[in-house]
Formats: sequence, structure tokens, C-alpha cells
Amino acid sequence: MTQLILFNVANGLIIGAFYALMAIGLSLIMSLSDVINFAHGGFLAVGAYLAFTLTPYVGFWGGLLLAPVLTAIIGLIVEKFLISRVYGRDPLYSLLLTFGLAFMFEDGTRWIWGAQSLPYEVPSWLMQPLSQQYFFLTGYRLFMIALVAIAVGGLFYVMSKTRLGLRIRAGTLDLETVSVLGVNVRVLRNLNFGIGIYLAGLAGVLAAGQLGLEPTIGASVIMPSFVAIIIGGLGSLTGTLLGGLLIGVASGLTGVFLPPASEAVIYVMMALVLLVRPQGLLGEEGRF
Amino acid sequence: MTNYALIAEGLHTYYGKSHILHGVSLKVEEGKITTILGRNGAGKSTTLRSLVGLTPAREGHITIFGKETTRLAPYAIAATGVGFVPEGRKIFPSLTVEENLKVPVDRPGYWTIDTIYELFPRLKERRNNKGRQMSGGEQEMLSIARALLLNPKLLILDEPSQGLAPLIVKEVFRIIVRMRESGMSVLLVEQNVRMTLEVADYAYVLNDGEIAFAGTPAELNADQERLQSLAGVSAERWEI
Repeated sequence: MTQLILFNVANGLIIGAFYALMAIGLSLIMSLSDVINFAHGGFLAVGAYLAFTLTPYVGFWGGLLLAPVLTAIIGLIVEKFLISRVYGRDPLYSLLLTFGLAFMFEDGTRWIWGAQSLPYEVPSWLMQPLSQQYFFLTGYRLFMIALVAIAVGGLFYVMSKTRLGLRIRAGTLDLETVSVLGVNVRVLRNLNFGIGIYLAGLAGVLAAGQLGLEPTIGASVIMPSFVAIIIGGLGSLTGTLLGGLLIGVASGLTGVFLPPASEAVIYVMMALVLLVRPQGLLGEEGRF
Repeated sequence: MTNYALIAEGLHTYYGKSHILHGVSLKVEEGKITTILGRNGAGKSTTLRSLVGLTPAREGHITIFGKETTRLAPYAIAATGVGFVPEGRKIFPSLTVEENLKVPVDRPGYWTIDTIYELFPRLKERRNNKGRQMSGGEQEMLSIARALLLNPKLLILDEPSQGLAPLIVKEVFRIIVRMRESGMSVLLVEQNVRMTLEVADYAYVLNDGEIAFAGTPAELNADQERLQSLAGVSAERWEI
């Protein structure tokens, strides 16, 4: 029993780490650009498939390094030519645009790579269980957790120590004032979007190794990522990280005791948070 | 020949459908303090917002240091040498004092974070405090400091003395005068008419989105009735 619980907690943490990576990117974009990016899952899929395509040429590590960067570059282009056009308009426009983009990404990947799921090769030494008793603790899972920790740590460093990060944080509070202080807010929003999409691409590569490749890979992660933001509190990156891990673990644990409810539980948690603390666990009052 | 830091001609500015500025024209002479006075809702803040690019004018022309800036984005206007201290200070509340000072872009010049700390020792003391923990006066200093870090040639301030204790108001005005002494041009919107007219070199009075008076502070002071009716009750408030 203990082993079963541990197994599900470990699984939940990994799924939760995906949610957190996605949710942090979504939250960055939402806070600075007022755009709810429904295409975020599509970028995850692009990252995953790019890694799949690149791996034969550059190896697993090359793919891991390059795929998120290429995904981010696609993100910068999409923001510059499409998303930036709907800034400052009725939110309906950005919802429709990103919703349409999500469909395009999903069918685009289906068109290019096919509808059947594809195997994504992870170096075999990473797939070895670390112990007989805890067979589910493969090197790859620990590796994923470590990589997510590095990515999130790096992001927190950028946000608290670099001028780019400080300007993004200032911009989420008051973009007008940032602009009169000489900052080009179009470029700022573009770069911020790129950072968010980089995280989605990275989540995609990691998810490909864990879940396998399917065109719908992004769609399954996007709703829980929104839930993670709401539970953690919009505008708080720490809260979003916590929210992602929390729903991952909660979903995993529920799977032990009441498997049919393992998906519903995150929405129950969201409802509870909204009732008791509408600004989210670490969110600031007055934001949404 | 007089050099002008800023020349605005016939500005018409709208918020959505409401027409706020009706052909505002004004000039800011280099190295001088120019002020815009007027009652609440006269269009003072809107004028400044048009000048710095936050609410672009639909008609009219703005030239800053010889460059046409009417349609430029705020960051491009800032790059011509404009520093803006917005109404209500607009400090980033969850950033520390030092982080607030790192938001503006670096333009080379005298002002760096170190020279700012010399001018405002209080900011240095409180550099690790959050913006929201600062008093109104400290926030005003921080807001001015932020604008100075752009090393502007023209400093535009929107009601810097709003809500501050008299002693701190004096301090704010002292700094503004000091900026003029260093050769900076200043455009100042104020409710504190009396003190403003003491330091200003040239004054405009706005009324219902139009320039109702343009002249020296001495001329405006000489016409107390006009001052009362145009610049409003705030002229008296100072004496209480």
C-alpha cells in the first residue's frame, strides 16, 4: 500500500511539474499581455515533435537543448505577427485567435507527423529503475524533476535579478509607467511571450519521453494548467508552481483511492479555493 | 533666438468619443520652468499624456528638441530626452526601491543609481524596502529619481506635490529648481498655484481644454481675479 501511494505521489509530482511549467508560461503571458493563450498546449506539442524530428540528427541531448529554443522562436514570430495585433482590444479577439491557433497546431502536427502516436527514444540508461523496490523511480523521472527545478530556478533568477525580469514584473503592475520610463513595451511583451513558450517547449520535450507523442498531447495539459494558475493565484509565480504540483499530487493520490475521481478532484480543489480564497493561495487581492 | 525644448501646436485629444483638448498650443523654453495651471478636469493631465505619448493627440503637432514626436510611442519620446513623473507617482508597489530604479532604460549622463542615492540619501537607506512600504514623500522622491535616471533634458512632472505635507512639498520644489539650475528644462503641472508661481518662468492656465492664459507669473499674479477664477480654489488652500 505504501508503495502504491508513493508510486502515485511520484507520478503526481511529475505530472504536476508539467502543469507548473505550462501554467507559469501561461501566467507570464496573461499578466503582461492580458492574453489567455489557448494555443499554449499547441506549443507544447510543437516542442515535443521538434525534439522527435531533431533527435536522429543531434541526439537526445541536442534535441533537448534545441527543441525548446526553436519552439520559443516560433513563439516570438507568432506573437509579433498575430498576437500583438489583438493587444488592447476586447479579450474576445485574443480568445478566438489563440483558440484558432490551438486547432491549427493540433491539426498541423497531425498533418506533418501523422495521427498515430510515435515513440520517443530516451537514452536507455535513463530509463533504468533506480531500485528494485521502488521500480517506478526511473532515472528519467528524477531527471525530469531536476530539469524542471533548474528551469523554474532559472526563471526566478531572471525575474528577480535581471533588468528584463524586473521590467516584466513592473509591466504586469503598470505597463504605461514602464513605457514612459523608456522601455519598448512591444519588445518586452514579445520577449515575455518567448520565455513562456520556451517553457511550453521544454515541457513538450519532457512529456514526449514520459507520455509518448500524440497530436493531442497539448490539449490534455492545458485545462489543468489553468486550474494551477487559479489555485496558486494569478500573478504569483511561486503560487503557480505550488498550484501545479499540488493538483498533480492530489490527482495522483485520488487515483489510489477513487480512480474515477482522479481528474475531477482538481476542479473540486479549484472550486474550494475560489470559495475560501478567491485570489488563490499566494495571489494578491484585487487581481481578477 | 530662444531655443525651445518642446513646442506643441493645436493639440486635439480625445478619450474615446469625449473631446478633451481643444487646440492646446504651448512652448517650453530650454533651461526654464514652464507651468500649466488650471482647475480639476481642465485637461492638464491629458495635455501631459499627449506630450509623452500615452494618449496621442488626434490633431496637432508636437516637436521635442527639434524632432517631430506627435505619433511616436512613449519609449521613443523618452529617447528624445524626456523624463516623466506621472500623477500619483505610480511606484511599482511590489518591487523594492532599488528594483524600481532599475526599470528605466539607461541613458548615459550624470544620473546613475549612485548619484541618485547622493541626492536622495533616504532612498539609499530604504533601498531594500518595497515600494508600497514607502511614505508619500519617499514615493515622490522615488518617482522623480526614476525619471532622472533617463538623464532627461526635459523633465515633465504631473502634480508632484499632491497629497504631501508642506515641508516635503518645499523639498520637491527645491529639487525642481535645482534641476533648472543644472540646465534641465521643466514642464510642471501643479495644483499648488502659489508655490508654483514663485518658481516658474512662464505660466499657462488651462480651462476646459483650452489655453486661457499665457504669460509670466508676474502678469498672472497681478490679475488676482483671473487667477482665482481660472486656477481655482487651490490658490487659497495654501494659506490655511
